[in-house]
Amino acid sequence: MELLKVRKLKKVFPKHKVAAVDGVDFSIFKGEILGLVGESGCGKTTLSRTLLRLTDVHEGEVFYRGKDLLKISHEKMRGMRKNLQIIFQDPYMSLDPRMKIGEILEEVFLIHERLTALERRKKVVEILEKVGLGEVYLRRLPSEVSGGERQRVGIARSLATDPEFIICDEPVSSLDISVQAQILNLLMDIQKKKNLTYFFISHDLNVIASICDRVIVMKSGRFVEIGSCEDIFKNPQHAYTRSLVDSSLA
Amino acid sequence: MILEIKGLKVSYNDIEVVRGVDLSIDKGECVGLVGESGCGKSTIGLSITKLIPREKGRIDAGSILLEGKDILSLDPDGLRTIRGRRISYVFQDPFSSLNPVFTIYDQLKEALPGKENTEEVISGILDSVGLSKIAGNKKIYPHELSGGMQQRVMIAMAIASNPDLLVLDEPTTALDVTIQNQILELIMELKNKMRLSILFISHDLKTIFRLSDKVTVMYAGRIVEDASKENIISQPMHPYTMGLVGSIPSFEHRKERFNAIEGNAPLFSDLPRGCKFHPRCKFRIDRCLKEEPQLEETSNGGVSRCIRVKEQFFDGAIKST
Repeated sequence: MELLKVRKLKKVFPKHKVAAVDGVDFSIFKGEILGLVGESGCGKTTLSRTLLRLTDVHEGEVFYRGKDLLKISHEKMRGMRKNLQIIFQDPYMSLDPRMKIGEILEEVFLIHERLTALERRKKVVEILEKVGLGEVYLRRLPSEVSGGERQRVGIARSLATDPEFIICDEPVSSLDISVQAQILNLLMDIQKKKNLTYFFISHDLNVIASICDRVIVMKSGRFVEIGSCEDIFKNPQHAYTRSLVDSSLA
Repeated sequence: MILEIKGLKVSYNDIEVVRGVDLSIDKGECVGLVGESGCGKSTIGLSITKLIPREKGRIDAGSILLEGKDILSLDPDGLRTIRGRRISYVFQDPFSSLNPVFTIYDQLKEALPGKENTEEVISGILDSVGLSKIAGNKKIYPHELSGGMQQRVMIAMAIASNPDLLVLDEPTTALDVTIQNQILELIMELKNKMRLSILFISHDLKTIFRLSDKVTVMYAGRIVEDASKENIISQPMHPYTMGLVGSIPSFEHRKERFNAIEGNAPLFSDLPRGCKFHPRCKFRIDRCLKEEPQLEETSNGGVSRCIRVKEQFFDGAIKST
């Protein structure tokens, strides 16, 4: 089933007159992990932000379950964000340094659900346990935990609203390799258990190759290739894809 | 032997972060020093020419011999004859290593010994690092170059003096993969052509494997395994190395869970007793909590800091993971 359908999406940064996303078409199917790979500055992150309306869009349509996200009111979009979540690269920059981890997670329930303080607290502990963190983390500040643990908090926050679609924007790029493996395991486990759909952005082809079903290769705002991981990595058609594959999988 | 490090101990603010390291590099050899952030690998690189910031860090013990002569006992003048001449560095971020207000030409000129800094020599060096495009141009500033080209300039400056040892500290980490690949190929080409001896420091096992002849794995300020590249990949002899190798994402094992290491690296201010890896180790036994193991020779000719390395099951466990 097509969960997200993107048509002729375009985003131009007016000051530089550069189309960071230059009229792209693609679909994301329920339950798949779709990878997006490309080198820095190719428009990966801009594309992901346009999908959730975190930045203005110039042209195009983004259908989520048949509804054009770019046309609905802000009010309605806020409701939609329960189902459409994002995990950012730098878990330190994306968590308020003055809030305790318990407060950060509780905030999600304050915004999206009407619960008593006790119910909220119960939910927060539940969600922490889902990402492998215990109750002791409730009272810690983001600066008091390691990078991997912070990313777990980022994941917990996006899981809190029980979404069906999550954009993972370079979620492991700032982590050490042993922690990267832990977080990738966690993301894969959760995806399988809840049949989630991921749009997984990375500059690292090996990470993409190890967890994604299909992959988009992006360059200068456009897609150069899109297909199953098997096809793209074993039999790249485009010269750019080939150079990426040759440099990474050696 | 070009370089020999013996019993090196370094501390920052009285906390020991390099806790007794021995390492040697032969002529024309590339030794890869791998470990995760904060394991002390960069500190070793900096210690080699006493570049540890004096207000924070201190070399507590050990010797560093460059062709038999101890560098650590040299005075500042003596060190100046070594730094950038006999031992040169390439660091992670080329833009912050280059001076933004001087031209590439002027900076290269400065890197060369007095008599050799002719235009011809400078063009030749730029040629040899694949920058023939800007070889004749004296007016290029660092900001006009891409990250990959800047790193080529750094490599040019580092090899200009024909050093005995090149220390590469994460030289490709800040670059895109295709550029990373080009830089690694350039380094390999130069290594073969000039018979460079290299200490290659990186957290990235894949790049370490591509360049190095020998691989040294560090954890919590000490070497935990030292072996040939082939053995590290196919037959790791320390549980930490095993976990690192198991954490490498790859197409061959796609859609499989990683054989990841649980937990986090310990803080130097709060190191566990006994084996420093034991809280994260799958093969831990009671003895691991009490004594920190010594480096022991392994069956494949390397060394490993694990008390269980000689046990039969350990071999089997490695093969099954």
